[in-house]
Amino acid sequence: MIEQFLQQLCNGLVMGSGYALMAVGLTMIFGLMYVVNFAHGELYMLGGFFAYYLTALFGINFFLSLVIAILMVMGVGLIFEVFALRPLREQGILTTVLITIGLSIFLKNTALILWSPIPKNMPTPFSPIALTLGSVYITEERIFAIIAAFTVIVCLHLMLQKTKIGKAMRATFQNKESAALMGVDINRVYSFTFALGSGLAAIAGVLLGSVFFVQPTMGSLATSKAFIVVILGGLGSFPGAIGGGFILGMAESLGAGFISTGYKDAIGFVFVILILLFMPSGLFGRKK
Amino acid sequence: MKKRFSYFRWFLFLFFLLSVPFLPIGNYQLHIIIIGCIYAVMVLSLNLITGYVGELSLGNVAFFGVGAFTSALLTLGGVSFWVSFLAAGMVAGIFGSLIGYITLKLRGAYFVIVTLAFAEILRLIDTNWTSLTNGPMGLSNIPLPEIHIPYLLNITFSDKIHFYYLSLGLLLLALYVVYRLVNSRIGRAWVSIRENEDLAKSIGINAFNYALLAFVVGAIFTGLGGSVYAHYMSFIGPDVFSFSITVSMLIMLIMGGKGTIIGPIIGAFVFTALPEYLRIAQLYRLSILGIILIFAVIFLPAGIVSMPKRIISFIKERRRQFGTS
Repeated sequence: MIEQFLQQLCNGLVMGSGYALMAVGLTMIFGLMYVVNFAHGELYMLGGFFAYYLTALFGINFFLSLVIAILMVMGVGLIFEVFALRPLREQGILTTVLITIGLSIFLKNTALILWSPIPKNMPTPFSPIALTLGSVYITEERIFAIIAAFTVIVCLHLMLQKTKIGKAMRATFQNKESAALMGVDINRVYSFTFALGSGLAAIAGVLLGSVFFVQPTMGSLATSKAFIVVILGGLGSFPGAIGGGFILGMAESLGAGFISTGYKDAIGFVFVILILLFMPSGLFGRKK
Repeated sequence: MKKRFSYFRWFLFLFFLLSVPFLPIGNYQLHIIIIGCIYAVMVLSLNLITGYVGELSLGNVAFFGVGAFTSALLTLGGVSFWVSFLAAGMVAGIFGSLIGYITLKLRGAYFVIVTLAFAEILRLIDTNWTSLTNGPMGLSNIPLPEIHIPYLLNITFSDKIHFYYLSLGLLLLALYVVYRLVNSRIGRAWVSIRENEDLAKSIGINAFNYALLAFVVGAIFTGLGGSVYAHYMSFIGPDVFSFSITVSMLIMLIMGGKGTIIGPIIGAFVFTALPEYLRIAQLYRLSILGIILIFAVIFLPAGIVSMPKRIISFIKERRRQFGTS
């Protein structure tokens, strides 16, 4: 019993690091730009696929292709921000939701045409043999995923606190107009934020894609999971997204292990509804 | 003031609608029209909360699924179609009130995501509650509706024509109800909430109650649409809860023109027919739809209904420019 519990907890940690990375990107984009990005899961999928093709087809080193894939997805995010989101900046949430849904449909179905719905295994340099830590089995790629996620989150925190662009982002987050008056280039901050959020989704895609597999439809579920996490932690809250990500990952693993696999994906949604029912004030952090 | 249609013209229009099945169109075209009618009912419903109250709901597909399953399960249990049809509307309305009561306290992004959460939960329950819904296998052999009046009428809805009249009837009913609601105090209250909620509240409009009303009326009609759909297709599975239906409804609403009466109907028919005719480009169909949605939001935010106006003003503008130069 205890062994199974620990094993599920460990699995949850892997899922949780992916969720946390996704959710941080999503919450950052929402907090700064007031855009609910429905294409977030598709950017995550793109990350996984770019890395898969770089490693499997071109034989590029896994770690290098991780970096290249992230940069490529950041490019996609940047193009989308400049050409589709920028003209609609003051249009309200409904418009931007629709346009990101459009992007999500386009990316997902184009991926289905180009890459077929068959799941693909990403080649990694890690050994396929599981390590044993006490009674818990864990593979090297899972360890790498957890460590990489933590590293990225720490780097992100440092960037937001120490660098100039991080400071500009925090200023814009607090008050767009004042930041603009103080000489912050809002357009640049927005583009950077969207690209950064896309990049974070891509990292999650590569990491979870290497642990499991990549598939064009993997984005849809990922988008809704990221939304759940963001609501659990409070929209626009950075630590909330990280904490919420790990909580959801653990809860799902434990739920799948001890309750029912079929309802695993419903756990998060039930969480969201319970939170809204019993502690709605916690979620009203920032009223519109 | 807009000039009203005279009764004669209304009558002529109704006559045209009733004679559609006898026009030289194929079975396949009639099928598209029936699906278009059902979609039109759903998009009109979605328009109440999203177009008039101004809150984007991604959960309306839940009511479609609930209506479809209620009606299918009841008729499979031996209840008459007409009772099941009304029950479908009622059950969807009850779900609508529950979900609306919880979600409408939230606004903006929260509302969008939480309505989506409810639709997803219902889809998962449907997939996993195999003893009731038969899970991913779905329910098949859903009975056809019948009208049975001794010595007078005995119709089994075995032909597409019957379903055309059924779905048209539902569409006209929905249109009437929506039209009356929108052109009443209630409709004006909805618009005031959309335009400025704080101001609306300050003059004594209970935003929550009015929004809930829009949501529940929409839920009832969506449920009725689900019932007609279930009996028309005679098979339903978990895909009646799928996100792709939500997306279709959104595209129809936005492309038609949200916050108008006629826009959703135009959108529903155009975007039921268009994907069908895009079948030539079968493979790229959904990708193209995604692109259309992106461009529509950027270039035609007020939908197809705004096109005549925009074209006229464009021509006037050009004339003016040439006149002055």
